[in-house]
Amino acid sequence: MERDKSFSGGRKYSSDEMTVYWKPEACIHASYCYRELIEVFDPGRRPWVDMKGSTTEKIIETVNMCPTEALTWKWNDEARNANITAENTNHVRFRRPELSRSEGLVAEEKPVIAKVMVDGPIVISGDFTVINDGATKVISEGIMSFCRCGESGHQPFCDGMHRKKGFIG
Amino acid sequence: MEEKEKKTTTVEIIGSGPLKISGNFILKDIQRKQETRPGEVWLCRCGKSSNKPFCDGSHKNR
Repeated sequence: MERDKSFSGGRKYSSDEMTVYWKPEACIHASYCYRELIEVFDPGRRPWVDMKGSTTEKIIETVNMCPTEALTWKWNDEARNANITAENTNHVRFRRPELSRSEGLVAEEKPVIAKVMVDGPIVISGDFTVINDGATKVISEGIMSFCRCGESGHQPFCDGMHRKKGFIG
Repeated sequence: MEEKEKKTTTVEIIGSGPLKISGNFILKDIQRKQETRPGEVWLCRCGKSSNKPFCDGSHKNR
């Protein structure tokens, strides 16, 4: 696997067939990637993406779940990129402009849902204000995943450790 | 993702204590199959509470 820092503001990880792009500043810790495929996306490992951890198909499926542009992907063979369909939401062709919202946009607040996952984190979605260590951050149409097992190395966020530690609750 | 104006629902991480959620939100406990609109809730973050998903003060005895 090759790790390349040339992709502006992020990193890219390639297998023979495809490349995954990682834009850390776009990540909102929704944690779909490591909850779905920790064999490839493991925040506790360096490098955190291991393209040999699973199949190309599974990696694409997982990257498409990312609710932001933190993770995107493309085929290494440019000819294949021309035939990408719309369900591949996180293919580089579909980087979604609405995710970089312009200021002054007035929208009704999205309902907030806090889900307590089975033996896993608290996943909060919608429009809400987060206060962490005195710092206030406003989240719009976002998802955040908070550790519930106490074992995360990335507090207060979930890093998938509940699975390794066998957390029940 | 960020806007300047505060939202009406607030999620607060309390030091080495629980996660406080207050405002207008739905709490879906998938594990215990319960859905409520508590208005205010303190959820355990240390994994030690015997009243999960709620905080029972066990983090203080770690």
